[in-house]
Amino acid sequence: MIAALVGPFWVASGASACGTCSVGDPTLTVIGFEQPKAHRVRTSAALRHRNDSIGETNLDRLTLSEQRMELAGAYSPTDRLSFSLMMPLVHRLITEVNLAEANVWAPGDLDFRVRGVVWRDRKFAPRHLVSLITGLEFPTSTIEYGEDGLPLPLEFQAGTGSWDPIAGSSYTMFMDPWSLYVSSIAIFPTTGIADTRASTSFRQTVLGQYQPWSFLAFQVGVEFRIDGPGYISGIRDPNTGGHITYGTLGIVGLPHEKVMLHVTAALPMVQRLDGTHREGFSFTAGLVYEI
Amino acid sequence: MRFSLLVVLASLALGTLPHCMRITDGIEVDVAYQPEATPAQIRTDMGYRVALDRALIVVGRVELIRCDDLLTGLWELVAPASAKAHVLDTPTSLGVPLVIDLMESAGTPEYAGTLKPPPGRYCGMRVLGMPADSDAAGLTGENLEMMQWSVMVTGRVFDTMSGEEVPLEARIWEVFDCEMRFERPLVFDRPDLERVSIRIDHPKWFDGIDFALQSSDAVQQQLTENIRSSLEAVLSDGDNRL
Repeated sequence: MIAALVGPFWVASGASACGTCSVGDPTLTVIGFEQPKAHRVRTSAALRHRNDSIGETNLDRLTLSEQRMELAGAYSPTDRLSFSLMMPLVHRLITEVNLAEANVWAPGDLDFRVRGVVWRDRKFAPRHLVSLITGLEFPTSTIEYGEDGLPLPLEFQAGTGSWDPIAGSSYTMFMDPWSLYVSSIAIFPTTGIADTRASTSFRQTVLGQYQPWSFLAFQVGVEFRIDGPGYISGIRDPNTGGHITYGTLGIVGLPHEKVMLHVTAALPMVQRLDGTHREGFSFTAGLVYEI
Repeated sequence: MRFSLLVVLASLALGTLPHCMRITDGIEVDVAYQPEATPAQIRTDMGYRVALDRALIVVGRVELIRCDDLLTGLWELVAPASAKAHVLDTPTSLGVPLVIDLMESAGTPEYAGTLKPPPGRYCGMRVLGMPADSDAAGLTGENLEMMQWSVMVTGRVFDTMSGEEVPLEARIWEVFDCEMRFERPLVFDRPDLERVSIRIDHPKWFDGIDFALQSSDAVQQQLTENIRSSLEAVLSDGDNRL
């Protein structure tokens, strides 16, 4: 069946969107948190899974299971600058309270980021790095329409369909075999699909890494996200806003000098999301290849 | 290098991928009102004959009752019914009032809407009779007075014993609810389509009424009771939409 068959049934749903719900920085592995290396090119492929639910049980609850395949590339023209591009293919399974399901496959929003090292304690093997991050999410996702010709709510879209500027900073400390990465990123969505403006979102990442061997490292971290309210046609969506803190555990393997494998699991530890919105377990696995 | 090329090509391909969406229907219950055909003259169990000129009822809300909601249901039976016009639809209830003209319906079903309940066991339905609001379905210029009444019946009553004929006028303004049990529980644990017809057997509305002896208040009260008992929820497998 096609999108036109969705009809007003789905549109009538009281629960609504969380356009910025995600865990962590999707471009972290491809850009890396170490000092950029001039003329280095990296590519990566990652799979992400997450789920959440919005709305009241037995009333208007929507459960969402999302899998994303993210293909990314990064280039560092100098040892202070890195550019990255990330394009996701999104699969969403949305389940209504009456077990009706919508399966969506669509390309998501293209993510472009620049990371510039603005301070380092020394040029060779720095122990402290401070970087600024800026970027933009492009509205490259396709738009799903109902049979009335109107765009469906954000739950049914693979992206927000809006131009979303990104700004932030990061700090990295290296004390072999330990390292620490702290980043603060803010996303400022503009109005996109279905006259919806997703929440302005601030994310704080604190990630510690222990690398006892050259081929293996362990990561433990905290991901904090605070969202402002989202709006649909200028009216506040009650199920948006609030904050959530994930605890993360990860393993990074280096089977080859040019190949990095990574697996990360994230579990919500503290949820103070507004309305009736719950986020669940999240999982990421991927591969980075350095040219 | 090959991997990088592959990633770059795949990224470009992702942007050009056609999107697709597949929808699977969930649990759905189609609800329709099915009034009996109105005979020219209704013979009551007290020996009267009733000829109706007008017979209208307004149903304001219909909802599925969970089998484990018995206590709630009992409480709602003893608590006074309350009306909220155009209460928003929920997965287990339809909130749009509907004016049903029993003289015109002639036994044809009147589609009320589709419920989309969550999985569970449902043992019956509850219907709320109440005055219509201004945008109730079925409200026309000819039945605008149904904004004041839940039920309106006019006609003539013939006493077959005495041969006497008296006018019949009954108007119920109060909100009343009616709880109906299914002949078997509706059990939903996977997507399914069911169909429920709420039969309105209005020829039985005048049973048990002695028009010659009872006061108009007593007639009204008995009529309200009869309306409640004349509603019946009938299940049928939903092979076809109503």
